[in-house]
Amino acid sequence: MATAVHLDGITKRFPGVVANDDVDLEVERGTVHALLGENGAGKTTLMNVLYGLYEPTSGQVRLDGEPRSFRSPRDAIDAGIGMIHQHFMLVDPMTVTENITLGSEPRKWGGLAIDRDAAREAVVDLADRYGFNVDPDARVEDISVGEQQRVEILKALYRGADTLILDEPTAVLTPQEVEELFDVLEELTAQGKTIIFITHKLGEAMRSADEITVLRDGKKVGAVDADATSQEELAELMVGREVLLDVDHGAAETGDVVASVSDVVVEDDRGVRAVDRVSFDVRAGEVFGIAGVDGNGQSELIEAITGLQEADAGEIRFLGEDVTTASRRQRIEDGMAYIPEDRQERGLVMEFDLVENGLLGSQHGAELASSGRIDWSATRDHAEAIIDEYDVRPPDANADAHSLSGGNQQKFIVGREFERDPELVVASHPTRGVDVGSIEFIHERLLELRKQGVAILLVSSKLEEVQGLSDRLAVAYEGEFVDVVDPDETTEEELGLLMAGEQPDSGEGDPAGPPTDHSGAPSPAEGDLPDGEQA
Amino acid sequence: MSVADRARDALARLVDASATERILISSAALVLSVLIGAVLVLVAGRMTTCSPSEAVYYFGTGFCYDPIVVFDRLFLGALGDPFSGGWSPDGQFAVTLRETTLLVFTGLSVALAFRAGIFNIGTQGQMVVGALATALGVLWASAFVSGVVGTVVLIPFGILVGATFGGLYGAVPGVLKAYADANEVITTIMLNFIATGVALYLVSGVFKDPDSAANQTVPLAEFAQFPAVLFGARQNFSLVALAFGLIAIAALYYVLEHTAFGYDVRTSGVQPEAAEYGGVDAKRTIVASLTLSGALGGIAGAMYVMMVLGTFQTGIPAYGFDGITVSILAGNNPLGVGVAALLFGVLKSGTTVVQFATDVPPQLVGVLRGLIILFVAMPEFFRLLAKGLPGAGSKPEAVATDGGTVTENGGGADE
Repeated sequence: MATAVHLDGITKRFPGVVANDDVDLEVERGTVHALLGENGAGKTTLMNVLYGLYEPTSGQVRLDGEPRSFRSPRDAIDAGIGMIHQHFMLVDPMTVTENITLGSEPRKWGGLAIDRDAAREAVVDLADRYGFNVDPDARVEDISVGEQQRVEILKALYRGADTLILDEPTAVLTPQEVEELFDVLEELTAQGKTIIFITHKLGEAMRSADEITVLRDGKKVGAVDADATSQEELAELMVGREVLLDVDHGAAETGDVVASVSDVVVEDDRGVRAVDRVSFDVRAGEVFGIAGVDGNGQSELIEAITGLQEADAGEIRFLGEDVTTASRRQRIEDGMAYIPEDRQERGLVMEFDLVENGLLGSQHGAELASSGRIDWSATRDHAEAIIDEYDVRPPDANADAHSLSGGNQQKFIVGREFERDPELVVASHPTRGVDVGSIEFIHERLLELRKQGVAILLVSSKLEEVQGLSDRLAVAYEGEFVDVVDPDETTEEELGLLMAGEQPDSGEGDPAGPPTDHSGAPSPAEGDLPDGEQA
Repeated sequence: MSVADRARDALARLVDASATERILISSAALVLSVLIGAVLVLVAGRMTTCSPSEAVYYFGTGFCYDPIVVFDRLFLGALGDPFSGGWSPDGQFAVTLRETTLLVFTGLSVALAFRAGIFNIGTQGQMVVGALATALGVLWASAFVSGVVGTVVLIPFGILVGATFGGLYGAVPGVLKAYADANEVITTIMLNFIATGVALYLVSGVFKDPDSAANQTVPLAEFAQFPAVLFGARQNFSLVALAFGLIAIAALYYVLEHTAFGYDVRTSGVQPEAAEYGGVDAKRTIVASLTLSGALGGIAGAMYVMMVLGTFQTGIPAYGFDGITVSILAGNNPLGVGVAALLFGVLKSGTTVVQFATDVPPQLVGVLRGLIILFVAMPEFFRLLAKGLPGAGSKPEAVATDGGTVTENGGGADE
């Protein structure tokens, strides 16, 4: 079979960061190719290179064997590439036909007017050819999200796309709509179209793709045949196994319960339960880890605990007090330190310098700002102490946060939060994007705090990190804890199974999970298309 | 590099420009606008007719308007001709300072809201409400005091009343934004109409001065108005009011830079997510900053009543809208507002001088003024725009370090 898309040694550098590092990708014509990886692995960057949004620092894009260089999406569209973004680019009050033909409408009267009849006919023909069920006259605001997605796909096809890139297409869909999408993909490939499907969900990659390429930290870590792999293998590839930092943390000397979460439910914007009745305790002097592939409710759970999002049900207690509805500021003042997952969005004010950033979260505290007046000289000393202690480079408190590399930004945040003298540290991906030396340093600091009797809640998708540091380890899957295990007594293989949602005892599948995430077996909802081989 | 890339690059450099660079850019823009304005004056002067003796000659060609005279009048005239010996404390310079004083308050009002990330177009309405409240409050209180004691008591009282009512009127869009997610641009514009409408209704009816044909309140007693100190008696300017303005500049600067509240405001303005993380109560900060912003607008109204008019009359000039320009000109920095208000004051008062001294039509002077403001404001305006634009300034790095996270997480539907 012919190779439709060939990316050859793509490297994309941003100031201070390599988003894609020498990535190869080969996609066969008429197949579905999943691009799998964690958030931040560089999947979208790579596809933006293919779609002409970014120019690669080095490397070559080839279509049907021919070298191409795209300077804008316009070039890529002309070359037959279409991209369907996670957030649809549709004009809500306009009809399906108007949206699909927008900008390339058939003309009449010598180009003076839009030929509406011809446009409608073209859309109907196109929808018929691929068996899409859309009403050409419906307004986009009146149709379901799944239909809107099909309109987006038709829009790309109308512009002559042979290769379609779908960025996390299932994120906005209900399970039934996901099934419908997969049917659509099969129909498209059957007619010779090529699909590249960006996802971080193992089950979906397995279910829909013919081949899967896995990215981690901007590098390609494997390309496997979907039929010849397992969810466990994919999870391992995605999460990776870096040099195991040998931290001997000794037995935990645990004290009182510091934080207690019971039956917490957090719903997302669509009313779907991102966190579904989770309960656990974190004691003084222990590291409670949460492992799991990203997007299984960890972020929402952490935000509910730290006060950035309100829990929809359940109770969160901190130091014996009910803080379920307490403000974020209250929780900070009570001694809850938080290393957020997204350091540039949340953890730092990017255009403030480090002196001002060192104050974030303490601006109402007595130490640096008693009675509402900021003591800038004490604040400067505080920032300089963090910079010194946590080896932030360059060691300049006047430097703006955005001028620092990602790793140094992270070290500054870690320093600021650890220096709060906390009772509880909530660390969400504390070493993501940080170099190996700093990882070790951050780990040592975490364990030091643990020794001092601080309770630590650690979330990480890096298996060796949560496994190496935690005293107890919960595995999150689909918003629930599949199990809480002793990390020293559990093998990576067992954890891999748990992360794929398999109960330790029942062995097969998760009875409560939606059909998309069943490993392997096709769901009965799939309809009348032949099972098994798709390519 | 494509045109789009180059534009993006220029924006990025603009965002990252240092304070000194920004002042230099603004100064260069001022010079450039004067040069272009001069060309316009020449062209306009070429297209009209006048007697040869009235014309000026450049490069062997006659022009009816002389750009040198126009700009000399516009700037030096506004300063009261300090170099020609005709300077008087009651002259045009007092007018310039009067305009400056009012613009300082409306400029600060807009700047504070801007720093909190809120676009307060309602300063005009808050000024009207403050002005009316001050007039009525001071009229009521005048019955209890008089003389020097009256001045000492009534002026702070009037400012306080104006600030309170302006603040309450600013709190309305604040509450609507914080608790009902109503866009402040829309609500503040609407509230402007309501303010002028209600004020008109009140002073044309209940509170109307029976002895006046105009829609105005009874005039304030002499002792209830700002006293002329050193200069400005004829021009309705008081150095005391200007001193209040300077104090307000210093106070707002202090609040923004040296208090926890100011830190909350600034953090919310540049990165609301980080502010939330840092324990800032977003709703309270919105309401508080719009209230304070409204209070400053209300003080502008109090000044207008107690210094300029001596009564409340409908049809208050658009100082509130000029405040938006002043604030943008100043990069929303309180200290910059002082300078920008002075420039604006010079232009406003200089315009009348030009009209007296030359034959240049007022429309053309308006164009010159507009040019200057446009040129000086544009770099700052583009900075504001570029900050909200992905890929400008420091943002490429932000996209990069998180790899695809920014795009993949999109609207947060996924995580």
